[in-house]
Amino acid sequence: MRFFKLPPQISRLVLLIFAIVVSYLVARTLLTPASFRDRGFYRGAALTELASFTPVFAGKKALGERYPEILKTLAKGDHKTLSCEGCHGVVDQQQLKDPQSKMIKPTATLCLRCHTDNPSRPAWFKQIVLKDHYSDKCLECHLPHEPNETPPEPAEEATTKPAPEPAPAATKEAAPQGSPEAP
Amino acid sequence: MNSSIPRRRILATFGGVFAGLLALPAARAVKKRLAKAPGAPRDYDPTKHKWLMCIDVDKCIGCGLCADACKTENHVPEAAHYFRTWIERYIIRKPAAGSATARGEVQVDSPNGGRGGFAPTLVPREEILKSFFVPKLCNLCEDSPCTQVCPVGATFDAPDGAVLIDPTYCIGCGFCIQACPYGCRFLSPVTKTAEKCTLCYHRITRGLKPACVETCPAQARVFGDLKNPVEDDPLQAFVRNNKVNTLKPHLGTNPRVLYANLDKEVR
Repeated sequence: MRFFKLPPQISRLVLLIFAIVVSYLVARTLLTPASFRDRGFYRGAALTELASFTPVFAGKKALGERYPEILKTLAKGDHKTLSCEGCHGVVDQQQLKDPQSKMIKPTATLCLRCHTDNPSRPAWFKQIVLKDHYSDKCLECHLPHEPNETPPEPAEEATTKPAPEPAPAATKEAAPQGSPEAP
Repeated sequence: MNSSIPRRRILATFGGVFAGLLALPAARAVKKRLAKAPGAPRDYDPTKHKWLMCIDVDKCIGCGLCADACKTENHVPEAAHYFRTWIERYIIRKPAAGSATARGEVQVDSPNGGRGGFAPTLVPREEILKSFFVPKLCNLCEDSPCTQVCPVGATFDAPDGAVLIDPTYCIGCGFCIQACPYGCRFLSPVTKTAEKCTLCYHRITRGLKPACVETCPAQARVFGDLKNPVEDDPLQAFVRNNKVNTLKPHLGTNPRVLYANLDKEVR
């Protein structure tokens, strides 16, 4: 019946090659992750996985919604470019949701972190040599939220314009900390 | 042919294998649908964004808040040689007397990545010709050498311009760490995989700024989306108002992190 019969060594070879190809295809299908080559030579799902982490820093926008007055005060002075969390420390998502949580009061070390005189800093930036300066109690004379203003003396409070006075909401912030004890 | 194995059984085996192969794509589609990461923002389409970072060297004051924030945000290992972003201080000394050169020796340091700020006097002030800070991060190369060498396809250029690492797929071989000409990658001792700046991918997909841009007090870092320009776009303004350069342009990596006021000594 047969017109042509493969020699046994050839048919074995054909079978062997066929088995190899099939096992390769099976292995490749099994080992390649599901979303591989969705967008390129990588797992497409990695993008959503990397995006699924929870952000740590709340951001100035979210905190500005919580402390709108402080943000308004901040926007007037030279410190308008500063973010809240640079000085006050991280406010994570949980703290943001919790109205009881308070921000950390920054200390003078944070002022000096940026404002200590350093030859590498750009010339436009205000820097101080601490030993030639009044003291390291920055908050006695400077309001971090409005660096262009000085805290008013308790006696002459009436003479200074009331607008830049920090609102009562700001008491949990650091700005007015030094003001009552000003010499 | 030797007929110790019946032909019918061979055929049945191969038939089974073929049926299995046909069923696999369907099974993978189901698996893919189940494997959606929970917490990921749904309305983010990476093809509709193109992120760009601009850095103004003249604005960096070297406070180190960015390097600090990056470690907090991305849970980068604490040790002093693991950084996704860091600040380098360049000090160019005055040329030696009679040397007939324009500038002297260049010193670069980055103590703890600049995290705690910089000590004021590394070189006496009178010996300094000029000095400045350079914030560094992944340069978001258009032709990234790091993604070309990855043997498993674990690192890739995302359509939105971020160069990312698939943490579950990386085998930690370290090829990409050697390939990066900017030294922006490291092998994490925690995950044993390569890690790098992701542009805070979990933040930018939610409409937040990267942590370093968020905390920078001097606006030395400008970050934005080229495909969705806002009114008075800060990126356009940055490119228009500054002489813009990239790091190591001769390598042909086409970095997408643009530096303004970059000195030729910066590598």
